[in-house]
Amino acid sequence: MRFIWSTAVKDWRRRWRNPLEIFMWTGIPILVGLLIALAFGGRSGPRPQAHVFVADNDQSFLSRLLVGALSQEAAGGFIRAEAVAEDEGRALMDKNKASGLIVIPDGFSKAVLREQPTKLELVKNPSQTILPGIVEEGLSILVDGTFYVHRLVGKDLRKFADGPPQGANTFPDESIAAFSTRINQTMTRLSGYLSPLAIKLETSVDEKESDTLSFEFLLLPMILFMTLLFMAQGMGDDFWEERNQNTLRRVRSSPQHVLTFLAGKVLSNAGIIFVVSLVALSAGYGFLRLNPATMPLALLWATLSGVSLAAGMTSIQLFTASQRAGNILTLAITFPLMMLGGSFFPFETMPEWMAAIGTRTPNGWALQRFKDIVLHRADTGSLVLSFVVLLLALAVLLYLSAHRLKRSLARS
Amino acid sequence: MIDVQRLRKQYGDLVAVDDVSFTAQPGEIFGLLGPNGAGKSTTIGCISGLLRPGAGRIRILGHDVVSDGPESRRQLGVVPQEIALYEDLSPRENLLYWGAAYGLRGSELNERVAEVLAVAGLVDRAKDPVKKLSGGLKRRLNFACGIVHRPKALLLDEPTVGVDPQTRVRLLELVREQAKNGATVVYTTHYMEEAEKLCDRLAIIDRARIIAEGTLLELRALLGERDILRVTGRFDSRKVPEVIARLGGMELVHCTDETIMLAASEASKKLSDVFRDLSLEGFEVRETTITQPSLESLFIKLTGKELRE
Repeated sequence: MRFIWSTAVKDWRRRWRNPLEIFMWTGIPILVGLLIALAFGGRSGPRPQAHVFVADNDQSFLSRLLVGALSQEAAGGFIRAEAVAEDEGRALMDKNKASGLIVIPDGFSKAVLREQPTKLELVKNPSQTILPGIVEEGLSILVDGTFYVHRLVGKDLRKFADGPPQGANTFPDESIAAFSTRINQTMTRLSGYLSPLAIKLETSVDEKESDTLSFEFLLLPMILFMTLLFMAQGMGDDFWEERNQNTLRRVRSSPQHVLTFLAGKVLSNAGIIFVVSLVALSAGYGFLRLNPATMPLALLWATLSGVSLAAGMTSIQLFTASQRAGNILTLAITFPLMMLGGSFFPFETMPEWMAAIGTRTPNGWALQRFKDIVLHRADTGSLVLSFVVLLLALAVLLYLSAHRLKRSLARS
Repeated sequence: MIDVQRLRKQYGDLVAVDDVSFTAQPGEIFGLLGPNGAGKSTTIGCISGLLRPGAGRIRILGHDVVSDGPESRRQLGVVPQEIALYEDLSPRENLLYWGAAYGLRGSELNERVAEVLAVAGLVDRAKDPVKKLSGGLKRRLNFACGIVHRPKALLLDEPTVGVDPQTRVRLLELVREQAKNGATVVYTTHYMEEAEKLCDRLAIIDRARIIAEGTLLELRALLGERDILRVTGRFDSRKVPEVIARLGGMELVHCTDETIMLAASEASKKLSDVFRDLSLEGFEVRETTITQPSLESLFIKLTGKELRE
């Protein structure tokens, strides 16, 4: 046990004297993460909203109702309407100040009530594509709604559009009462369909959709596991550093077992990975306001995953004939693993088939479990099983490395 | 004691060590002398546990290196031919680590490291990174790492290769000190003079086999105090033995159409006779070299070639 500790201390000293290596391992993923975040539009921020000018030349109850309907929360809060004079609105549109301008013509209200042709003018901002489209869709829905209202109570509406009877300033009470009664009867008739709705809407919640995670959250495991992969690749290369310095031969000539020496290296790697993960997770948990109760387990999982990946890379290096060959091979493995395993692009942005492959890669599997731990959605049984699998993998890789190391030293 | 019996190591068709046997006693410096590729390093590799012997038996202080590997290596110090140090660590840190590898702990380890730093003359540079040390200092540290745990058996694989004369003298002194303190030392080299000065007993190894073994005196007796006369030119190797036989008092060691090697007492006095008889046969002599009796001449006598060939 003491030699394991001595080996770990020795390696920590060596790493401490070469801090550039650790900066590279952590710096590249942070840089890549930032670039990806920028490429994907950065942090989610406020919801996009279409700013629409409305030139109401009708100034009727119905025209005001239209503007209100567009702006209300039921429209998803995507549209913010602002009343302007038509000339002013057109001038502002020329200055690219809004997503669109709606011009409500004079006589709009009467035309709608009489179900006569009328024209709502929508001037769209050509420099935008999505937001003016939202406004256009919103208006289409209102037009459709008007059509159906006419089908139900169009006759009465037309009467009202004609105005009060000649010689009277207001509608007689009996007309209003009769209209109200017919509205009520119509609604009663429709209630069989509307309340409850004749069409039963069944909603099935897609597991993945329910996990709609913010992009910032997805960046955390992505950057962390990219760092772990870089560290694993670099730590695997340390075998060649030792070999080039002939220190492996000296270890082999000592009474210590090669496995003990490798265990020391695992401890050293674990220490470094632990510190790097601690820094990354502290920053991530703080920034994302994640539940801190999950952090210790997440930290343990990240450390164990990193150590196992490093042991895997060491095993691969031990199968190669030279440092150059080892580096080429491990890099050739690292980058596809990174791409597929959710360390370059989150699984959530991948095609389904690719994500299915990615989650079956070693780092992809570890990354998924990491997310489960952070989001507190893994049950104890599956977690214990995952830790056991990881520890077993580490033990097998260590044994394999020790075996290969002895053989490779005997042949050199 | 290091006891090697009928050691054999083979890589595919290549036999690296064949039927090698020797015993090195405590307090003795036993030299393994031979050219590069003769099998010295393979023998050292097998003794140190780096290589598994194909056949034969090796015991270090009574412990078999195969069946009792860790115990056999516990009292063994190894100074490899190549510098085997952590370049980013200081000499002190290197010694601490290798001392720990052999089970030294705490104050014992610290005291021993300080002692060895002083012995190797590295006290002033104890905290500098190894990569900043000169080649000679690295050699001394390489040696120090092999003796930090006070081994009772010490293997030195050509420790003076490529070092300056001053460092060489210092290293040889350190080796003698180890033997004087009772350690069994096995020392490989291809420097004849070094072996002559340092070793109590020697084994000459060539082409995987030991071809002679004994003290320096015993080995010299094999040569019979005779010089080695090397003649180069153009000869007929079929006729040469007859010519040499006519001369008398000379032994033909090696003969090709370009080179003749003869062993003779006071060879310089017989040089004119050799020239005359070879010329009479129509041979052309271009160059002659006389080597005084030494391990070098013994090696030539035994193998028909110079050690550095």
